[in-house]
Amino acid sequence: MNLDEALQTFIVESRELLQDLEQALLRMEDEAPTADTINAMFRAAHTIKGSAGLFGLDDIVSFTHGVESVLDRVRGGELLLDGELASLFLSCCDHMGALVDQVVSGSDGDAELAAAGNALTARLKAYLGGPEAQPQPQAKVPQQREQKLEASGGGEVETDSWHISLRFGRDVLRNGMDPLSFIRYLGTLGKVVSLSTLTEAIPAAAEMDPESCYLGFEIRFKSDADKAAIEGVFEFVREDSEIHILSPRAKISEYVELIRALPEEDLRLGEILVKCGSLTPAELEQALRLQSGAPPGAGEAGGRQIGDILVDEGVVHPPVVEAALAKQKQTKDSKASEGQFIRVDAEKLDHLINLVGEMVIAGAGANLAAQRAGAAELLEATSTLSRLVEEVRDSALQLRMVQIAATFNRFQRVVRDVSRELGKDIGLSISGGETELDKTVVEKIGDPLMHLVRNSMDHGIEPSDVRVSRGKPAKGTVSLNAYHDSGGIVIEVADDGGGLKREKILQKALEKGLVAPGQSLTDREIHQLILEPGFSTAEQVTNLSGRGVGMDVVKRNITALRGTIDLDSEEGVGMTIRIRLPLTLAIIDGFLVGVCDSSFVVPLDMVVECVELTEAERRAARDNSYINLRGEVLPFLRLRELFELPGQPGRRENIVVVRYGGQKAGLVVDRLMGEFQTVIKPLGALFSNIRGIGGSTILGSGEVALILDVPGLLQQVVSREAHSKAPAGGGLVHAKG
Amino acid sequence: MVTIERDKDVCRLSIDGEMTIYTAAELKGKLLPALQGCTEAELDLSRVAEMDTAGLQLLVLLKREAAAAGGRFRFVSHSKDVLEVLDLCNMVGAFGDPVVISSTAG
Amino acid sequence: MAKTILIVDDSASLRQVVSIALKSAGYEVIEASDGKDALGKLTGQKVHLIISDVNMPNMDGITLVKEVKKLPNYKFTPIIMLTTESQEGKKQEGQAAGAKAWVVKPFQPAQMLAAVSKLVLP
Repeated sequence: MNLDEALQTFIVESRELLQDLEQALLRMEDEAPTADTINAMFRAAHTIKGSAGLFGLDDIVSFTHGVESVLDRVRGGELLLDGELASLFLSCCDHMGALVDQVVSGSDGDAELAAAGNALTARLKAYLGGPEAQPQPQAKVPQQREQKLEASGGGEVETDSWHISLRFGRDVLRNGMDPLSFIRYLGTLGKVVSLSTLTEAIPAAAEMDPESCYLGFEIRFKSDADKAAIEGVFEFVREDSEIHILSPRAKISEYVELIRALPEEDLRLGEILVKCGSLTPAELEQALRLQSGAPPGAGEAGGRQIGDILVDEGVVHPPVVEAALAKQKQTKDSKASEGQFIRVDAEKLDHLINLVGEMVIAGAGANLAAQRAGAAELLEATSTLSRLVEEVRDSALQLRMVQIAATFNRFQRVVRDVSRELGKDIGLSISGGETELDKTVVEKIGDPLMHLVRNSMDHGIEPSDVRVSRGKPAKGTVSLNAYHDSGGIVIEVADDGGGLKREKILQKALEKGLVAPGQSLTDREIHQLILEPGFSTAEQVTNLSGRGVGMDVVKRNITALRGTIDLDSEEGVGMTIRIRLPLTLAIIDGFLVGVCDSSFVVPLDMVVECVELTEAERRAARDNSYINLRGEVLPFLRLRELFELPGQPGRRENIVVVRYGGQKAGLVVDRLMGEFQTVIKPLGALFSNIRGIGGSTILGSGEVALILDVPGLLQQVVSREAHSKAPAGGGLVHAKG
Repeated sequence: MVTIERDKDVCRLSIDGEMTIYTAAELKGKLLPALQGCTEAELDLSRVAEMDTAGLQLLVLLKREAAAAGGRFRFVSHSKDVLEVLDLCNMVGAFGDPVVISSTAG
Repeated sequence: MAKTILIVDDSASLRQVVSIALKSAGYEVIEASDGKDALGKLTGQKVHLIISDVNMPNMDGITLVKEVKKLPNYKFTPIIMLTTESQEGKKQEGQAAGAKAWVVKPFQPAQMLAAVSKLVLP
């Protein structure tokens, strides 16, 4: 049985549950938990324990058992979930998380971890008020009652088989228990040597309820299984059925007791036992003689053993709990909508998206062929197809979209813990959690965000006394916000702390040689310096940030996601770090342009407009690196020059105006070839250093087109403008809107 | 589900479907009255797709009631599922009807 | 025709393991994540046995058992409750509602297979 895949599910599931549990605990700091919340918390522990058991993860089972037990008491109202207990549960969450991590890494029991677990378990036990039995990793097997039989009245019977007498309860069929199924299952444990069905108990037609069970069975059974295993077969019906199991070589007296106990007439029963082969005729004779000769109770010595294996009769009815059940809360309809999800392997989704990508390319090819053929009908068909492919693509990508809320919410705990550690009073405010982005992006954004949040808390927010003296609320706030903007997502990490100190940064940058003395820099450029490698402004190195891992790592991670990072800061007021990311990494709508014989794709969502250059503009543009676009100064790049393409510009040139992250620039190209849907294929390692190229794609014609890295190009424009003597009123143009 | 054909005193019954606790009450209600007044009856079990304890009990009851009324009542054309149950419970002999052992039965 | 088992639990990994174990023994398995989901899955197909957890969101196991007992096509269908040692009361509640079989969590796949086989062979 290959459980690897299921184990992966378990890992993902447990982490999610732990996260939910943690969220619920953190929410309690603000408001008292509802019964639903506590139930959900209990269920989380219950589910983790149950699933861990299936995989034989005994460490997790035994630890979680303690958590579950305490939560059960909280749920039952026996314990109050106060701050102290909540803190303990949070530590337990961490420990469970560590145990799950241990499963992931496949490492063996870590002594330190085990010790931490024992310590927590001990603290949990204190809440249970009394020794709490640890569960067996395996469900308990009923204790086999092997008792020595004392010889009494006659020797052993000759048979080497078990004898099983079954009288099923009237209700077993109604309860879904079919005696025939138990007998079939019994057959899997050994061999049913012989079997007699007793039908005498079926009443006359008028009284016979066809849904009641009236049958009995006498079975001679040969098996190496032990008594517990055989008893176990009838586990689910033993409460309301009469079951007798005699071991091989049972005493004749035990049979006597059996005959006495069973409802049928002694002689008839005896015949059945002989017919089964469980008793020989001689043994039956002896038994019947004992039965009639001895006063009741004489067979007691042997009878006790039978008594032991008689499954308790009469203790059937569990306490009637109808009243309690009636009180059971009705499930709220509002909750019905949750949980309507299917969990899909991310790999399958990736595969689907790859296929859709191929389909997009193939569709473009078909379109091209149709255009060449000029067949109207074919063109119509391919355009319909293109539209459908586009929809399929969007839906497929949508499948991978997840809300960023889960990522944001994780920071509740971080902020809580870090603020305690720092001795600062800091709260977290979250907005835009419903903003969706690609799962692959979400997975990679966690670490950079963690760094930024910690950085804000550590360096941004001032100690309370400083804040108060500055006229700010004593409690600092870090906010996380997300929203969609021009085909991408923007994630903001903001704080109301001290902001960046311009002079300090500049001085440090000079020390580190990041800027040349005398170089004039705008505030914005100075702020961006903290993102440069090797820059750290912390006056004192704490254990949070300033560990040598600087903001430059964050920048590198974001750039790797085809994103950008920039920051706004006002001294004394606070800082906002803005991360822009593409919604998905797989497919983009592109705008195809041509330079010389080469084709390039500009991501469509970054294209603002296309303008044909007039002759006058072309002449003016020859000497400058900007044009006048309806009164705006627009810097531009000639792709021909940038990529050192051969040939002269044709008689016509066009300029594609692109915008990204508040900056605008023009790209000069020969031809505009229209919109085009494209699948991004990563460039090989060989080309990964080419600036300005973000990837490649295959055109319907089979040709390769390069995808322009617009943010990268804009960066080039910006640095060029900043370092050349900017024309009056020049520099870069900040886009409006 | 139950088909009843009367040919003078001979009654031919057949069951199409399952003989389980889900159908036992209905089958009892239809089969018992149909047997009344028959001196000879047979029950075709060839289309019994599934049988459980409730179904088996019903067969026992029918046989017993018919015998008590003095009629002749046989089960014929046992389906594979019926035979499996009769075999498991060692009831083929008790009913005493000839059965056809066929690997394709049912 | 293979017998069909419905496994109802809010843990996807538990359903997955149980499903693998039962399928390898020759059963057909369908899954549901809670009571409501399970009731939806019961219509339109024949299910021979239901395995249900007690603690689930939306509709818990006890409520599910009671609802199943109201369905003409399922009122006599065997139900295995998944209980825990610490919840003896729930097990009794389940039995009172009509789920007479049970398996105690945490369990091994083989234990589940044994419990199912007692009630319905594949």
